Amino acid sequence: MNRVIKVARMQLINKGTFIGIPLIILGASFLFTLAIWWLVRRNGGDGAMYGGGAQAPMWYFLALGIQSLTLTFPFSMAMSISRRTFYLGTVALFSVCALALSVFYYLMGLLEVATDGWGMGGQFFALQWIADNNWLVQILFYFVLMVLLFMIGFLAATIYMRWRTTGMVAFFICLGVLVLGIIALFTFTNFWDEFWSWALTWTAAGVTLWGGIVALLMAGGSYLTLRKATA
Amino acid sequence: MPRTTAIATRELSKTYKDVKALDNVTLDLEPDRIYGLLGRNGAGKTTLMSILTGQNYADQGTAEIFGHAPFEHDPTLSRICFIRESQKYPDDFKVHQAFESAALFFENWDDDLAQELVEAFALPIKRRIKKLSRGQLSAVGVIIGMASRADITFFDEPYLGLDAVARQIFYDRLVEDFAEYPRTIVLSSHLIDEVANLLEHVIVIDKGQIVIDSDAEELRGTAVTVTGDTAKVQEFIGTAQVLHRDALGALASVTIKANLDADQREQAKLMGLDLSPVSLQQLVVRSALSGSTAQRTEERTEARK
Repeated sequence: MNRVIKVARMQLINKGTFIGIPLIILGASFLFTLAIWWLVRRNGGDGAMYGGGAQAPMWYFLALGIQSLTLTFPFSMAMSISRRTFYLGTVALFSVCALALSVFYYLMGLLEVATDGWGMGGQFFALQWIADNNWLVQILFYFVLMVLLFMIGFLAATIYMRWRTTGMVAFFICLGVLVLGIIALFTFTNFWDEFWSWALTWTAAGVTLWGGIVALLMAGGSYLTLRKATA
Repeated sequence: MPRTTAIATRELSKTYKDVKALDNVTLDLEPDRIYGLLGRNGAGKTTLMSILTGQNYADQGTAEIFGHAPFEHDPTLSRICFIRESQKYPDDFKVHQAFESAALFFENWDDDLAQELVEAFALPIKRRIKKLSRGQLSAVGVIIGMASRADITFFDEPYLGLDAVARQIFYDRLVEDFAEYPRTIVLSSHLIDEVANLLEHVIVIDKGQIVIDSDAEELRGTAVTVTGDTAKVQEFIGTAQVLHRDALGALASVTIKANLDADQREQAKLMGLDLSPVSLQQLVVRSALSGSTAQRTEERTEARK
């Protein structure tokens, strides 16, 4: 059996980490949202209701990106796996999980619309801004968002594995300087109004495209960083 | 047909900041033998093994496993097993999950052997690895190393925290299994006497340099301790290289580097001198490490991240 697949199987030895926990987070946030909607309706609230709980598992992927590297990478070295194989297996496994969950989101969105917002006029999976697009864009949107968060965690963790604390400190100082620089630039050139009106024109497809490009860049960056990391 | 070398290094060097962890290391290890990689803490043992297993990389020089550089080369890596002394396991892993994982990657994995060893070491396999004691943690590493039956297996200070019984089990089972499934075994240790009987070949590393690289049998005959009247001892040893000297009143006990023949032994007896063999540990300490001072060792730290 291919060693890349074996890496995925190793990551899945504890099924909770990649599959169980995201499903529990999603299920819990969904049930909480339903309960809140029900309370709102009982107390005579009307109009459309939105719930942002669908993003809950996505934040877990940020932690998963860090965890699957810092905890499993040193062990994978002991299993005599090359860094390349470890990287491919881990990223491939996450991609498959993210794709499955994205399709699940899309299907739940269809169900949500069909049941008139779970009988309560609520929007949890089929948020208007996303649900207005065709099926492919919807699925890709969720997928890219999940991969993006995973990759942020993964890249940060590879930087840590390779350069340890020094790398982390340098990375966050650079990031801080960059963000502050952009804010300063926008402030001095009175660009904020323009920026926000531009941000409002973003479409789900556009966010998917740019998010995908950023995720790819980070994937490449973390691969190059990992190639010389030590356990 | 000449046999391929299992491990070959040429002028291998690695520096951590201002510390030379490995300094011009050139070695050739034959397949199917048990090697001892001996040296003090921080001498460079773990660094050397990390480079040989592709877990780290050298600044200079080359390392080859069966004729191929191991770094990022899966076909070569799959023939190696190296569980480091400070091995990290996934936080949520239980003992049996580490074994399941090892079974995936090591083609020669013997699950029966692993089970036997689990029983021998009384290892709680359903416990989380992070909850294990030091000795149990060592046992996990030992079991993965043994049951993997990799062509080249490294044991990194495998006895840490193990009690006397468990250590004996390890040594016995290693010899047994080696007899049945010969492979190249590298045993790193700073407790030399305890593993001395297992070793066929001894490599001593100090401050990143190889100071002894010799057959264990040959090494045992290369030194002798002469005890007796100071003047007579001096007369007997002549110009032989002195490794160590102890004096108590008129008595002296001097360890010299010499391979005595029967005549010389007879002569010592006539002079009323006692000859005693030097243990591997004494030999290593006396000859190889005599130059190290405490201050110099303090400067050295082995990379165990």
